[in-house]
Amino acid sequence: MPIRFAEHARAIVRQAEKEAEETGSPVIEAEHLLLAMTGEHGSEARDVLASTGLDRDGLRAALEGEFRQSLAAAGVTLPAGGLPRASRDPEHRVHLAASGKLVLERALKAAVGQRQIRPGHLLLGVLGAQAGTVPRALALAGVDQGDLATRTKQALEQGKR
Amino acid sequence: MDVMEIRPDADPADALAAVAALRRLADQLEDVAVERAMRAGWGWPQVAEALGVTRQAVHKKHARRLIAAGVTLRRR
Repeated sequence: MPIRFAEHARAIVRQAEKEAEETGSPVIEAEHLLLAMTGEHGSEARDVLASTGLDRDGLRAALEGEFRQSLAAAGVTLPAGGLPRASRDPEHRVHLAASGKLVLERALKAAVGQRQIRPGHLLLGVLGAQAGTVPRALALAGVDQGDLATRTKQALEQGKR
Repeated sequence: MDVMEIRPDADPADALAAVAALRRLADQLEDVAVERAMRAGWGWPQVAEALGVTRQAVHKKHARRLIAAGVTLRRR
């Protein structure tokens, strides 16, 4: 039987689209999926993130910090208030970036043998990244990525009972 | 703005993250700069030449959102 997306997991992907739009990104990156998990559809993913002290505001701050830090390495400093915003195409369909596709692929692998892909599987998909914006932002926030993955697996196990 | 030296011997993870951040920044700056130029009465050929891309490329990338935002676009 094919694995299906649980309703909450589907809602996270939809929410990630909004997160991408809000941050002015034309594509859904892994960090937008992670941000979406801190919202109302996060289920066990949101709880696990919260258990390490990461809420929505904390994650946003970490991502912003990572962006500034990486730019600083190239000698670029952003204005304190951020960049001015450009007008957006209301018809534009945000699609998955490479990092977003990898999250879904890893989530699918993590959910093999299960009936559904749950928010926790999506979180494991995000945490499977060895490099990139999310691992750097988590490190900046002082969150141990491996520990977070272990807690996520435990939460998924408990959810099965 | 602080000017820092870009170190060729930087840690690869830091160097790659800087590239990713610069790309993201460049995309955001392009959206803002093109919109400001078009609002100021620039034409597509000028904007394209200033960016070093073709007119078709800049039109395809930006026309829809600028029209939706109500920017009066000049043909030339």
